[in-house]
Amino acid sequence: MKTMKTLLAGAALSAVIGALALGVAATPAAAKGKKIAVSWKTFQEERWKTDEAAIKKVVAADGDSYISADAQGSASKQASDIEGLIEQKPDVIMVVAYDSDAILPSIKKISDAGIKSIAYDVQFEDPNALYITFDNIGVGRLMAKAIYKAKPAGNYAFIKGDKGDPNATFLFSGITEVLKPAMDAGKIKNVCETFTDGWKPDNAQKEMEQCLTKQNNKVDAVVSENDGMASGVVAALKAQGMAGSVPVSGQDGDLAALNRIALGEQTVSIWKDSRLLGKKAAEAAVAMANGTAMSSLPGVIKFDKGKRHVMMNAILLQPDPITKANLDDVIKAGWITKNKACAGVKKGTVKACG
Amino acid sequence: MTDAAEVSTAHLLATESPIKRFFRATEIDTRLLGMVGAMLVIWVGFQIFGKLITGEGVFLTPRNLWNLLVQTSAIAVMSTGMVLIIVMRHIDLSVGSMLSFVGVLTGVAQVYWLAPWLGSDNPMIWVVGVAVALGAGAILGAFNGFLVAYAGIPSFIVTLGGLIVYNGAAWWVIRGETVAPMDSYFELIGGTPRASWIGSEASWALGGLVCLAIVVGIVLNRSARARFKFPQRPLWAEAFLILAGCAVTLGTVAVVNAYAWPPLIAERYAKEHNIPVPPGGLIYGHGFAIPVLIALGVGVAMTFLATRTRFGRYVYAIGGNPEAAELAGVNTRKITLLMFMTMGILVGISACITAARLDAASNSLGQFDELYVIAATVIGGTSLAGGVGTIYGALLGALVMQSLQSGMTLLNFDSAVKDVIVGSVLVFAVWIDQIYRRRQS
Amino acid sequence: MNAETKAPLVELKDVSIAFGGIKAVDHASIDLYPGEVVGLLGHNGAGKSTLIKVLSGAYKRDGGDIRINGEEAVINNPRDAKRYGIETIYQTLALADNVDAAANLFLGRELRTRWGTLDDVAMEAQARRVMGRLNPNFRRFKDPVKSLSGGQRQSVAIARAIHFNARILIMDEPTAALGPQETKQVGELIKQLKAEGIGIFLISHDIHDVFDLADRVAVMKNGQVVGSGPVTAMTKDEVLGMIILGKCPPGATPGPGAMAA
Repeated sequence: MKTMKTLLAGAALSAVIGALALGVAATPAAAKGKKIAVSWKTFQEERWKTDEAAIKKVVAADGDSYISADAQGSASKQASDIEGLIEQKPDVIMVVAYDSDAILPSIKKISDAGIKSIAYDVQFEDPNALYITFDNIGVGRLMAKAIYKAKPAGNYAFIKGDKGDPNATFLFSGITEVLKPAMDAGKIKNVCETFTDGWKPDNAQKEMEQCLTKQNNKVDAVVSENDGMASGVVAALKAQGMAGSVPVSGQDGDLAALNRIALGEQTVSIWKDSRLLGKKAAEAAVAMANGTAMSSLPGVIKFDKGKRHVMMNAILLQPDPITKANLDDVIKAGWITKNKACAGVKKGTVKACG
Repeated sequence: MTDAAEVSTAHLLATESPIKRFFRATEIDTRLLGMVGAMLVIWVGFQIFGKLITGEGVFLTPRNLWNLLVQTSAIAVMSTGMVLIIVMRHIDLSVGSMLSFVGVLTGVAQVYWLAPWLGSDNPMIWVVGVAVALGAGAILGAFNGFLVAYAGIPSFIVTLGGLIVYNGAAWWVIRGETVAPMDSYFELIGGTPRASWIGSEASWALGGLVCLAIVVGIVLNRSARARFKFPQRPLWAEAFLILAGCAVTLGTVAVVNAYAWPPLIAERYAKEHNIPVPPGGLIYGHGFAIPVLIALGVGVAMTFLATRTRFGRYVYAIGGNPEAAELAGVNTRKITLLMFMTMGILVGISACITAARLDAASNSLGQFDELYVIAATVIGGTSLAGGVGTIYGALLGALVMQSLQSGMTLLNFDSAVKDVIVGSVLVFAVWIDQIYRRRQS
Repeated sequence: MNAETKAPLVELKDVSIAFGGIKAVDHASIDLYPGEVVGLLGHNGAGKSTLIKVLSGAYKRDGGDIRINGEEAVINNPRDAKRYGIETIYQTLALADNVDAAANLFLGRELRTRWGTLDDVAMEAQARRVMGRLNPNFRRFKDPVKSLSGGQRQSVAIARAIHFNARILIMDEPTAALGPQETKQVGELIKQLKAEGIGIFLISHDIHDVFDLADRVAVMKNGQVVGSGPVTAMTKDEVLGMIILGKCPPGATPGPGAMAA
C-alpha cells in the first residue's frame, strides 16, 4: 500500500508542479467575516467533496469566507499549500494530513503565525491543535456489539484489514474490548483471525473459504472490519448456503452493503456520515475564529491515544450502526436511494423498504 | 566433429540408466515432474503440519482441493498470457489494475445499464457483460501493445503507466463504490452459487472425453510420424503416457466429485424439488466448477496457440532472437501488438471470474494481481531473459502459489509470515530452476 | 562465363545510408547477373555488410535505387526482399536459438495443415531432406539450435537460404564458423547454385576464398566502392591494394571511392 502511494505520488508530481506554479486555489468571499481555510490531502476520493460541501455550508451561514488547497496526495505539496494558506491570513486552518508526521513542521508554522489549527479526520500530534474525527476504536466496539447482540455465543471469525494500516489494529482493539468478557468465559471462541492484504474483498473471500473449510462450516458469526471485505465473506458463506444465517459486520455504509443489510445477508454496517464530520468541524472552526477557547467547545475531551501519546483537545463523533431496523436513516439522509438499498428485497420483509 | 557428437550420443543412449532411458523415451519434461513433485511435497507437508498443529489435516480433503482450484483460476488464466509476454522479452505490469477497471466496467454495465433496461435476470445481461469485459480487455491490451510495438516505448514503462492509469480509471468510474449484485447468470462464471459447478455425471463424461482425446492425439501423432518414416517412441512409452494422462484426469474428476454439496444447499435443493432426504443426508458431488473449466479451457487454447500456430511460433522466435525473427520476415510489431491484446482478453476473462465469484465489482479487485501472475509464471519455469516458458508450467506455478497461500491461511499463519514465505519460495524456486538448467546444458 | 550479354539480375544504383550522420554507405553502385558470383571485399566497417542489408531489407536506404531484372524494386523490409527471391545468410546467422532446426528453417514461411495449424511433421521431413543434402550427419532435429555446434548452426542458416528457390543469394561470411572440410562443402554448394542460375553476392574478408569462387569482385572502402572487375583481370596483390589503399588497378572499373591517380 505504502509503495503504491509513493508511486502515485511520483506520478502526480508533474501535475503538482503545475499546480504549485499557479499557487493555491483561493475563493475569497466577503472580507467582512472570518476566514476558514482547509488543506485537503487529496480530492481524488469522492468523499472529501461531501465533507467540503458540509463545511462550506456552515461557513457561509455564518457569513465567513472559505479558502482551500488540494495537496493531490503529496506531503511536500501539502507543506507548501499550508504556507500559501498562511499568507492569506485565515483565522483557522483545518488540515486533512496526508502524512501525519511530515505535517508537524507546517502545523508549527500555523501556530507561530497565530492561527488556530484543526486536525480533520487524520490525527497529527500537536498539542495546540484540535482533533476532530469519528471514534475509530468506537467503530470496532459498535461492530462487535451488533454481532454480539445477534450471536452472543459460538465460533467467531475475524477478518481484519490490511496489516500495514493502523486503523485495522485500532478497530480490532475496540472489537476485543467488547468481546473479551464473553471470550474469557469461553462462550465465544476465536476460530479464525487474519489480516487481509489491501483490505481486498477477493482476499477476504479466500480467507473466509479457508476458515469454513478448516472449521467444517462451524462458524457462527463473522466480524469483518469493513463492508468491502464483508462482500467477500458473504460470497463465501453463500457458497455454503450459510449467507443470512451467520451475522456479518462491516463499516463505511457501502451502498452494496446497505443492500445486503436489507436482504438480511449482512447484519450491520457502521456508518460514518462525513457530512456530520464536516458540519461539526466547521462549527468548531467558526466558534474558534470567533474567540471560543478550544477546551470550552461542546463535546471536547482530552485525548492522548495517538502514537506519541501527546495530550490534545479532541472531538470524537460517534458513528451510526446501520441495521435492518434503522436502514431508513441512510435513505432519509440521502446517502442511498430507496431503489438501490431495497433492490431484490421481498415486499414486507424490511420496514424501510415497505 | 559432428560425427563425434553423434556417436557419443548413440553410445550414451545404449549405456544410460533405465531411469534416464525412461525419460528420454517418454519425452517427459523432467522440470515439469520436479514441479509436480514439489507441489505434492507442499500439499502433504500442509496435511501433516495441520494434523500436528490442529489435530486434523484439512489440506488434502476434496473440499479444500476443490476450493484451491477455484481460487487459482483467475490468476491461472492471466498467467497463460503472461508466459508468452515474458517469452517475448516483455512484461505486463498492468494486468492487476486492468482487471479492476475491466471488472468495474462490466459491473457497471450489468447493474446500472443493462439490468434497468432489460430487466434483471434477462439472459442477455451476462452475454453483454462478458462481451464488455473481453472487449474492454482487448482494447486496453491492444493499446498497451501499440505503444510497445509501434511507439517503441519499453513495455515495463508502458505497463507501469498502465498500472497507475487503469487504477485511477477504475476509481473514476465508480468513485470507490462497490457495484453489486452481479447478474444471476453471470455469477455462475465465478463458481460460487449452485449450478456453477457441473455435477458428477458431467464431470465423469468430461474426464472420459479428455482420456479419449489423449489416446486419439497419441495415435494421430504416431501415424503422422509413420507417414514420414520418422523414429517413433517405443510402444511401452506411449502406453505409459496414455495411462498416466488418464490417471491424472480421472483422479482429478474423482476428487472434485468427492466434494459433496454443502448440507444446507442440498437440503434447500431437496425441498425445492420435493426429493425425500435419506437419513445420511443427500450426497451430490460438485464436479468441476465453471471457473476451473474456463481456466483449463484457456490453458488448452493457449497451449494450442503457442505450439500449433504461426503466431505462437513467432512469439517464441521473437523471444529467442528478435532481430533474427525480423530478418526472417516476421512482422514482429504486429505479433507484439496481438500478444498484448491477447493478454488483455485474458484479463477480461479473469475479471469476469473474479467479479462473478465475489458477486460484486470494486476498484480494489485485482490490485497487486500482476505480482502473483508474474510470480506464478516465473515459478512455472519462464525465463525473464525471454524465449523460454510453457503454458502448463505457468498453470502449475499458479497452483503452487495458491496452495501456499491457502495452506497457510488454513493453519492461521500470521499474514506477515505468509508474505515472507511466499516471497522466499518465489526466489528459491527460480534459484533451483537455474541450477537445474545449468546442470542440463 | 559471359554475363554481360544478359540483363543484370540486381542493380544497386547510388545507394546511400547514414547512421547518426556517419555515412556507412556512400553512393555505392554494384550489379549482379544470373549465375554469377560477385565477391564483395573490404575491411571491417567498409560498408559491405550494410550495403547488403539494404538489399535484404534489413535497413532502409536514404537514397538510391534498387532494380531487379531491370525493374524498380520496392524493398522496405525483409518480407519485401523475400518476395523478390532475395535470400540472405547473415554473418550472425540470425537464428532463433530457442527453437529447433526445422522451426528456424521455416521461420516466417511455416508449412500449415489444411486446418491452418503448423504442420510440424511435414516441416521436419523437409528439414531432414535439405539438411541431408548439406550436412548428412545432422541428427539433432528436436534440439533448440543453441545446443548445436557452430558448423551445424551455419548449415541451418544456409539451408534456410537455399530451400525456398532463391534467385538472389547473399552470403555474408558464410564460412566464418566452419572447418576446412565444411568450407570446401560450402564451396561446392556455391558452384552448384551458380550452375542453377542463381546470382550470389559473396561477402568475405578471405581474399583466397573469393578468388576461388567469384567471377567478379567489388571492393569497398569507407562506405564507397573503390572499383570492380572480373577476377581474371586482376591479381590478388592488386585487389589487396584496392582494399588497403583504395588504389584501383587498370583491370578494374574505378568507382567513386578510388584514390585519385
